[in-house]
Amino acid sequence: MADSDHEYSEQGSDDDIPTRNGTGRAGAPRGRAMASRPKGRAQAKWEAAASSNWELHEGADGSIEGVLGGLEEAGKRKRLLKDTTPLQRGIIRHTLLILDLSIAMIEKDLRPTRHLLTINYTVGFIREFFEQNPISQLGILGMRDGIAIRVSDMSGNPNDHINAVKALRGMDPKGSPSLQNALEMARAALYHTPSHGTREVVIVLGALLTSDPGDIHDTIKSCIKDRIRVSIIGLAAQMHICAEICRKTNAGDENSYNVAVDEVDYRELLMSITTPPVVRSTDTEAQRRNQAALLMMGFPSRIVEEKPTLCACHGNLTRGGYLCSRCKAKVCNLPATCPTCDLTLILSTHLARSYHHLFPLRNWVEVSWARARQKGSTQCYGCLAPFPHVPAAEERSEHNGTRAKRAEGASESSRYECETCQNHFCIDCDVFSHEVVHNCPGCQSSAHLPGAEEEANGVEGESDAMAT
Amino acid sequence: MNIVDATDRTEKLDEGEAPSLLTIILDTNPHAWALLTESLSLSKAVANLLVFINAHIAINHANRIAVIASHAERAEWLFPALARSQKDSHANGVHGDGEDMEMQDGEAADSDGPSLPRDDANKYRPFAYIEHVLLSNLRRLMESTTADALSSTPATMIAGALTLALTYISKQTQALPSATTSAQFNYSDATAVAGGNEMSGDGAKSQASMGLSSRILILSVSGDLASQYIPIMNSIFACQRLTIPIDILKLAGDTVFLQQAADATGGIYMALDNNSRAGFLQYLMFAYLADQAARDHLIMPGEGEGVDFRAACFCHRRIVDIGFVCSICLSIFCEPLQDNLCLTCGSHLSMGNYGQKPVVVPKRKKKKRRALADGGADTPASDRGTPAP
Repeated sequence: MADSDHEYSEQGSDDDIPTRNGTGRAGAPRGRAMASRPKGRAQAKWEAAASSNWELHEGADGSIEGVLGGLEEAGKRKRLLKDTTPLQRGIIRHTLLILDLSIAMIEKDLRPTRHLLTINYTVGFIREFFEQNPISQLGILGMRDGIAIRVSDMSGNPNDHINAVKALRGMDPKGSPSLQNALEMARAALYHTPSHGTREVVIVLGALLTSDPGDIHDTIKSCIKDRIRVSIIGLAAQMHICAEICRKTNAGDENSYNVAVDEVDYRELLMSITTPPVVRSTDTEAQRRNQAALLMMGFPSRIVEEKPTLCACHGNLTRGGYLCSRCKAKVCNLPATCPTCDLTLILSTHLARSYHHLFPLRNWVEVSWARARQKGSTQCYGCLAPFPHVPAAEERSEHNGTRAKRAEGASESSRYECETCQNHFCIDCDVFSHEVVHNCPGCQSSAHLPGAEEEANGVEGESDAMAT
Repeated sequence: MNIVDATDRTEKLDEGEAPSLLTIILDTNPHAWALLTESLSLSKAVANLLVFINAHIAINHANRIAVIASHAERAEWLFPALARSQKDSHANGVHGDGEDMEMQDGEAADSDGPSLPRDDANKYRPFAYIEHVLLSNLRRLMESTTADALSSTPATMIAGALTLALTYISKQTQALPSATTSAQFNYSDATAVAGGNEMSGDGAKSQASMGLSSRILILSVSGDLASQYIPIMNSIFACQRLTIPIDILKLAGDTVFLQQAADATGGIYMALDNNSRAGFLQYLMFAYLADQAARDHLIMPGEGEGVDFRAACFCHRRIVDIGFVCSICLSIFCEPLQDNLCLTCGSHLSMGNYGQKPVVVPKRKKKKRRALADGGADTPASDRGTPAP
């Protein structure tokens, strides 16, 4: 599908997952090679990732005492310093997670076993997925004995999935997996999903084989036709067919196939899928043809009634529910479509959960000692934790020597500054604000934002802040 | 005093109740309080609040308290106190003369927070300390409020106060259970606190439940918070993740989002009117003093009422119950856009079937009749086809 757009899509997804690409391979010429055939590559992706991890350790390892704290902070920040450029993302997602339940999952290279670890991680994945994509749908399939089995149906309720996945604990992995069967079943499950949502399949594959009843290439073709994107996480080694599936279903982009190096890597790979996918230009064109992009929605309020009345959706007697904003029909659960007037009814809180993808909090910058002295900050603006003391000006040169060894990304003064409100924060608040609250405590607590005002006045406060 | 507390009692308490951190966000917007002077003045409310705080402290010796003022144009800590130097620089920044940011470190060292209260043999010392710090900070906050600053913003910084409270809570929670490094890392993977500890093994969960349980109480007096819709929502979701209930005691005004906050996080929402406002302390003590563990066994007030779930539109900050939502970025607009461009993400939006009549029953009947009387003579003209959804 639309081979002319390789350049664009590669660009887009590079921005999407910079943590993997930034360290993995910064090679320029790969765009072309990737689109045609992955064979010419010098090094497999996971090998590159592994070796670059190793380099990172060596590079920063000067003296241990100073570096350790820095490494920890740098690690925390590395996760933070991702995309703050807003990209268009498919926020209404329909995702099928396919777990390998074949004999290969008994392997103990990931502790305790691949199977148990996968179940644990999947529970976390489900929670995170619905946290990040509240109006999306998820379904779970399994591959064992050469067939695909349905673990849980497409639904928007995380607890259903979690219970179903937990029930897998008692089931021993058996037989061999079949990618074709799994993909076909996923395709059938995604067949009815509306066109304004994405259709995604995530496969966790522990085995190094797939035992298929027919030609998997036909299945891949029909997946492409159905706009299904497949991403695969391998647990053992790279397989050509997986790379091919991912490449073909993602418009030539191969970043969606990854092999987990260890437990941590596995978890990161799985969790990175919870971020809504970037919408590619080809997709938008398809979307434009298919759907009205401005949806009319109702935000009904909940009512409680003295006497039970019938709900319009199921005809059950309920006390209370939600009244459709347009026709006042009573529905018992949200999100729903009003059975009477066909209005989409949704809780505004469902929508609001996705806003932080829309308005990401800007990354905070490291604070040099000079800047810390200038601002005179002695404690974190958010949590009131004290900062390390600012050394006097003359001590500075000597400090420079040791501080230079702190890992890249960590601030020498353990302070991090929001450029908008120019307040200083500790690393914990930095992580917390960017990953959990998505608010800056400083910007929200003051009507006067020096950073924003400077920017508005055209003063070069921005460059100042960058320099320090 | 500390010696007394550290005797054999500690052991017993550690097994039993987990300490709880109560973060109170006091809306100190002078406009709103001015309207309430007849029924409940700010000074009276603070006096009542102090009694409530003392009660909270008295329940469990390890209980903690934090108070944040959500003022007209900034949110500020009332308790615990800021270290002096930053506060001064902050206050200066607010006044607009940001030149003398440089603070000598000596000052910060010798005056760590406000001066201690006079020793009073008749008062439990933590009570006296909290009262002193809170009142002196509140007084300073009020003194530093200028008239023109007030005239510019009638709002209150609830979102900022919530965010400050959350950062403080997260730090305190991390610090309290002799935190292993893994516990520190955990919350950044977002599921950890909200029961996601199974990820790192089921053993960690019980430990987490023994830790600090936190809750937030917002005493709200001002209305309209629509301009802070997104930050407030973000804070609400953070609370949801961290299982921190947000209790709301509404003294005046009408805000949609605070009710949603209480509903989403499992907190208590109560609104007082002119008559019931006099019983402020009683409401505090009876409805809000119970901590999360106790609430499981109580029937809490405010349950069984409807919740207003309307949203604020992004274009005019109006509160709407029917909105237009961009399917790409989920921005809410109160009316169809003029040039079909989303104001937030700039993508082209076709208005699809807006204005189209809803699919009503007669059309369906046509379909049925046609199916039934397929060979029949007088089928109504069926060249229109079935209506597409």
